[in-house]
Amino acid sequence: MKSEPEVRTHLARWVAERSRSVQAEEISGNTPILERRLITSVQVMDLILEIEQLSGRSIDVSRLKPGVFKDIDTIYRNFFGGPSS
Amino acid sequence: MKEDTARLVEKLCIASQGDFGSPYEFAWPDRLPEDAWHFSPELLSTAGTPAGERLSPEETRRLSFFEAVNFFSLNIHGERALLEGLAARLYRDDLYTPYLHHFLDEENKHMVYFGTYCLRYAGKIYPDRKMALPRDYAEGEEDFLFFARVLLFEELVDVYNRRMALDERLHAVVREINRMHHRDEARHLAFGRRIVAELFERHAPGWPAEVLGEVRRSLPEYVLATWKEYFNPDVYRDAGMLGPHDVAREAFASDAARARRRDVSGPALRFLVSAGVLEQEPSL
Repeated sequence: MKSEPEVRTHLARWVAERSRSVQAEEISGNTPILERRLITSVQVMDLILEIEQLSGRSIDVSRLKPGVFKDIDTIYRNFFGGPSS
Repeated sequence: MKEDTARLVEKLCIASQGDFGSPYEFAWPDRLPEDAWHFSPELLSTAGTPAGERLSPEETRRLSFFEAVNFFSLNIHGERALLEGLAARLYRDDLYTPYLHHFLDEENKHMVYFGTYCLRYAGKIYPDRKMALPRDYAEGEEDFLFFARVLLFEELVDVYNRRMALDERLHAVVREINRMHHRDEARHLAFGRRIVAELFERHAPGWPAEVLGEVRRSLPEYVLATWKEYFNPDVYRDAGMLGPHDVAREAFASDAARARRRDVSGPALRFLVSAGVLEQEPSL
């Protein structure tokens, strides 16, 4: 599995490629990726698949709390072994 | 409410009272034969793709079982959202409650046989990956989007149902589930097309240009998201295929899958164009 900085960089690049309005370097850990509409609701499904592949674990959306995809800090905490928010 | 829709609803209610499929009379075998087919080979998500061509006939047959479980699972998730949305709209005087009752009743019954197949033969239902993000809506926009998404979802499913109900290669249980679902869905689609056109006619003239633009952008996106659910990495993993996420991405992007999306989604999208909802048929 990738290290924490590698996962964060990967996610920032992934979001930037889809948003086309920001560069990966402009996306920090607390950039609100949904609120700023950097990705659409349809792309959340792709994000889930990307997180599954990176973490090696399946995600059951029906069990998720609201806001888990708010920003990269929150995604990292919830899906890559850190304490849940 | 429009008079011609009210007349259609009256006819659909009569039809539903006299012709609905009961999931409780189903003859469920304890287990299905090892060599049974569960999904038409030409409709498999990997049909015509490099990943599909690498599979032996035996591996393809095995994949057909997990694709059927996925197809029925995504029907369960779609119908669960549909039940919630329909229940929330009962007894509104601007909708058609008598038919919404039949709609709810029939969708609930569909979930019984989809769920029974998944749990009895696979021991699971694949999880849902679709997530609705909360947002504000213009007047009538949420109702319109709800019924438009329901219609798109059901139109796609119905193409699969119709083809698989007639596919003699499939196990009788699978054919029967597809046949029963199509029987009720034919009525739901007639209602769906009418209510979508009516709600658009009623509300769209009052929407600011940016709302109409967002509606026109979001519906093709919804269709694409729905299609992505047909390319489920969990299915490929269960079927023993290596690199399931890569298989999903490559199969989805293949020319064969794109052609299948055009073929299956075409009638629903052309209906939305003819109703003025979309300006042109989107490329999928």
